[in-house]
Amino acid sequence: MIKLNVNGEIHEVRVKPYWTLLRVLRNELGLTGAKLGCGRGECGACTVLMDGKPILSCLTLAARAEGKKIVTIEGLAEGLKLHPLQEAFIKNGAIQCGFCTSGMILSAKALLDRNLNPTEEEVREALSGNLCRCTGYVKPVKAVLEAAEIMRKGGSR
Amino acid sequence: MRKFFRPREYFKPETLEEALNLLAKYGESARPIAGGTDLLVKKPPEVEYLIDIASLPLDYIKNDGEYLKIGSLSTFHSIETSSLFKEGAYRILAESAHDFGQATVKNMATIGGNVCSAVPSADFPPVLMVLDAKAKIVSLAGERIVSMEEFFAGVRKTVLRSDELLVEFQIPKPPPHTGAAFYKLGRTSVDIALVNAAARITLRSDGVCEDARIALGAVAPTPIRAKGAEKLLRKKEIDEALVEEASQTASEETKPISDVRSSAEYRKEMSKVLVKRVLQKSLKRAKGE
Ligand SMILES: Cc1cc2nc3c(=O)[nH]c(=O)nc-3n(C[C@H](O)[C@H](O)[C@H](O)COP(=O)(O)OP(=O)(O)OC[C@H]3O[C@@H](n4cnc5c(N)ncnc54)[C@H](O)[C@@H]3O)c2cc1C
Ligand code: FES
Ligand code: FES
Repeated sequence: MIKLNVNGEIHEVRVKPYWTLLRVLRNELGLTGAKLGCGRGECGACTVLMDGKPILSCLTLAARAEGKKIVTIEGLAEGLKLHPLQEAFIKNGAIQCGFCTSGMILSAKALLDRNLNPTEEEVREALSGNLCRCTGYVKPVKAVLEAAEIMRKGGSR
Repeated sequence: MRKFFRPREYFKPETLEEALNLLAKYGESARPIAGGTDLLVKKPPEVEYLIDIASLPLDYIKNDGEYLKIGSLSTFHSIETSSLFKEGAYRILAESAHDFGQATVKNMATIGGNVCSAVPSADFPPVLMVLDAKAKIVSLAGERIVSMEEFFAGVRKTVLRSDELLVEFQIPKPPPHTGAAFYKLGRTSVDIALVNAAARITLRSDGVCEDARIALGAVAPTPIRAKGAEKLLRKKEIDEALVEEASQTASEETKPISDVRSSAEYRKEMSKVLVKRVLQKSLKRAKGE
């Protein structure tokens, strides 16, 4: 039995030693925002934040995450109010099939949490682990830059 | 033997002693896990006990003047962003970390795991080799220091015993007028290397080459030094023609294979190009240009 802090809530879960955090989030906690793409570190669809840093939940043991703060895409909105990044992704058409989106937004959030004024290059670097088969990256990058601007002007968080 | 990765127990030791006790107790059936970016992709079915070493206090970078000491659990993110690696010969550390994988993987992958995985294409071993790094290895029986050249025993094989942990890399302070550089060729900027190369050049104050080190990855079962090429450069005044000759010699010292990523011929040819680039860059840096 382990205790996991996910989006500020403590969950007690029984896990096998080899279960990944991704499996526990999806199958045990029903948080399906993090996706299983490749399961081998290549695609970034499973990206979540662990103590503020984007990590791949498909290559993280669930037991390793005990005692850490995990944030998934489900933890970003406040009630019905979306995070500026979520708003900007929708507004800019940066979501097509959506499979990569939760990972992209979390990688972007980690960047904006430490640097609210990133260059385009820094945004691309931060999203380098999040593969997208649909958008061609131009719109997600634009969305992140726009969200940064809104947040600089005091848009929530 | 089992076909799947199904370890029966997981331990998260908080101290080095605890970790070493567990490794001594479970022997071959135990495996340390650091970042997990190699182990959890490979999923070796023989592992029965996972010893999670990530909580050990081995994520540090210290410079005591004589040696740079880097804890084995330092992530590529820590290396890339360290203020100690912004200039001088140590710049090669930050540069190679910058070229490593994608942002997420950098937050997880450790330099100890990179070296211990002993994958021929690993990026850090050639860098450590040209910096003359030594690995500090500990077990309940005590500690030993092994140079990077003696560390690798083959594809995915090292001199580490199952009860040992690699805890630290020790890099001697480079002499003045030293420049070093790393170059990685991948299919894409975040792919593993088709070939990678590192060099370090030290010049005397009259501009003659005092010492040269060249190392390559992904061109043999283990990372290699190109000792023939190094010898050509030592005690000479290095010009374009000599760089060309040394690059050719280095390429002849490689023993690459063909695989899905590229052919052996291509790797050999690219070894020459990469060695040339890292030599030119190291030379420039050694001259302070
Ligand atoms: C998407 C992706 C991209 C990658 N890109 C690159 C790249 O650009 N360049 C590159 O070189 N590699 C790359 N890799 C491979 C891998 O991430 C690296 O080799 C990484 O540094 C391994 O470190 P780790 O801490 O994750 O190792 P782990 O998976 O935790 O461990 C690897 C092996 O080493 C052993 N081990 C780990 N630490 C120690 C220790 N301190 N003492 C004794 N044994 C130990 C483990 O038991 C295991 O057998 C990539 C991997 C992925 C999934
Ligand atoms: S599912 Fe984790 S990186 Fe692809
Ligand atoms: S929107 Fe489809 S993968 Fe990115």
